[in-house]
Amino acid sequence: MQPTATAWSLDLHRRRSDRVVAGVAGGIADSLGVRDGYVRAAFVTLLTIWGLGGLLYLLFWLATYEKVEDRPNDPVENIRAIGLGISFTGLLFLLGAVGLWPSAVVVLTAAALSFGTAALTDPSSPGPFAALMNPEVEKVGKARLVLGIGLLAGGIIMFSAAIGQVFELSVVFLAVFLTGLGVFVAFGPWVRRLLGDLSAERSERIRQEERAEVAAHLHDSVLQTLALIQRSDDPQRMAMLARHQESELRDWLYGTAPLDGVDLVSTALKQAAARVESDFQIPIDVVTVGDVAIDERTRALVFAAAEAMVNAAKHSEVDRISLYLEVEGDEVQVYVTDQGRGFDLEQVPSDRKGITESIRARMEKVGGEVAIDSIAGEGTEVMLKLAP
Amino acid sequence: MSIKVYLVDDHRLFLSGVRAELDSDFRIVGAAYDVDTAIDEIRALRPAVVLVDVHMPDGGGIAVVEGVTETNPDVKFLALSVSDQAEDVIAMIRAGARGYVTKTIEPDDLADAIRRIDAGDAVFSPRLAGFVLDAFAGAIPSDDDPELDQLTSREKDVLRLIARGFAYKQVARKLNISIKTVETHVSSVLRKLQLSNRHELARWASKRRIV
Repeated sequence: MQPTATAWSLDLHRRRSDRVVAGVAGGIADSLGVRDGYVRAAFVTLLTIWGLGGLLYLLFWLATYEKVEDRPNDPVENIRAIGLGISFTGLLFLLGAVGLWPSAVVVLTAAALSFGTAALTDPSSPGPFAALMNPEVEKVGKARLVLGIGLLAGGIIMFSAAIGQVFELSVVFLAVFLTGLGVFVAFGPWVRRLLGDLSAERSERIRQEERAEVAAHLHDSVLQTLALIQRSDDPQRMAMLARHQESELRDWLYGTAPLDGVDLVSTALKQAAARVESDFQIPIDVVTVGDVAIDERTRALVFAAAEAMVNAAKHSEVDRISLYLEVEGDEVQVYVTDQGRGFDLEQVPSDRKGITESIRARMEKVGGEVAIDSIAGEGTEVMLKLAP
Repeated sequence: MSIKVYLVDDHRLFLSGVRAELDSDFRIVGAAYDVDTAIDEIRALRPAVVLVDVHMPDGGGIAVVEGVTETNPDVKFLALSVSDQAEDVIAMIRAGARGYVTKTIEPDDLADAIRRIDAGDAVFSPRLAGFVLDAFAGAIPSDDDPELDQLTSREKDVLRLIARGFAYKQVARKLNISIKTVETHVSSVLRKLQLSNRHELARWASKRRIV
């Protein structure tokens, strides 16, 4: 960020946003062009001198107006901050010299702790890890970090000494405990920021993965189909591809396709029909009435129906096949109908007979029935039935 | 004189395709891409048959059917949809449409369906026949008008054959009845579908939100 000199402005006000109590410290910080944390630290320090900080805060509060600023001024001038710091230190010791300090230990401890914290939580501080690892971190930032840690440590040691005297506790033990606490407080924000970065990174990664999954799916399905359509000059085949792609995309979008295995006969039949559609380029109209769960018997029914569809697709020479499922009570019926050339059952070529026989074998194995009705020139209908 | 047909579909590409297919056989008096324009123009142009898409913004095909039927009960509707959502299809029929076919229908079959609708018959695609069989399946609750709440076994036979992909003519031959009788059965089913207050109908439709 390019440092811009903030003019001295004695526009004393209270901040509306980004405030801790009433915005007084923030307003002063904006006017002086320093970080609000240091002004707050000054108030805290003065608070230990017979509540002077509180009194001043109240006076400022009465004397100022609340300013709806766009955003707090961005303080950048380190020299000014140092000057103001020296002035404040002088003022503090002046108060001590005239005997206003209630206790030197309390005042100095408060000053060390509050300014140390302010230095460490200064948003422009580099953070301990960055300061150690990154040689390019600005010197002022490093200095501020060292100053903050020093002040904090000093404050903690003084505080420990004082408490130790009062309660006759081990100063070392207290110092260690409080230092631990201080480290926790001082480093907390950075740790939190680090964890925040990690979780943001994770959700970004999840988003990326989802996007990749969608892209992969579209690539495998829609893009492939579009490519096939572009290269195809047969309108029938184009329509078929589009139709198949549409139903597949619809299943994917609206979740009608079961994610973990098929569990209903209607779904299994629709999937079988979709496969035959794409393998043989023939549309299949699927109509289902009622439904039933897949078990050993209905599974055989689905396979038999799939074979019947393949049969129709291969031999009927039609542009459309119908598949009808009806479940009524315990009875399941499936019809595979085409209005193609049909055949005479007595004079079936042997290769075809094999397939019809395998449909029959499948169904008979599970105690089902098969009826094949075919009239040459009019079409074929295969009826599959399971009754209890 | 050729039949006056009006088209309503928010999908322009599809609309122009259908228009090209039907142009030689029918008098296409107009077309609309949205519900409000459709209602106004149909009232003014008085077509005999309106092909209406089920899914459109601002109320969809149902809004068109209801809006027009209010003032012009003589206009007949054929619902045409890419959607196979049972709920919407049944709602369209109950709003007054006399038939439902999917957009994948062959041009010849579509022309046939329009003529049938114009003649006052009902047009059931295999899918609609399946929906109806499904909706009317199961035990019948005792109601004030049991005749409306139940399909006769002959009506079921007709619907099953339609669901299996047979045309009316083939259905008639398979059942050894006349085409006229098949049409009568289908119209009777349509009436039941429109008037029955069988509560299963609503429950069934909502259960099958996505088919």
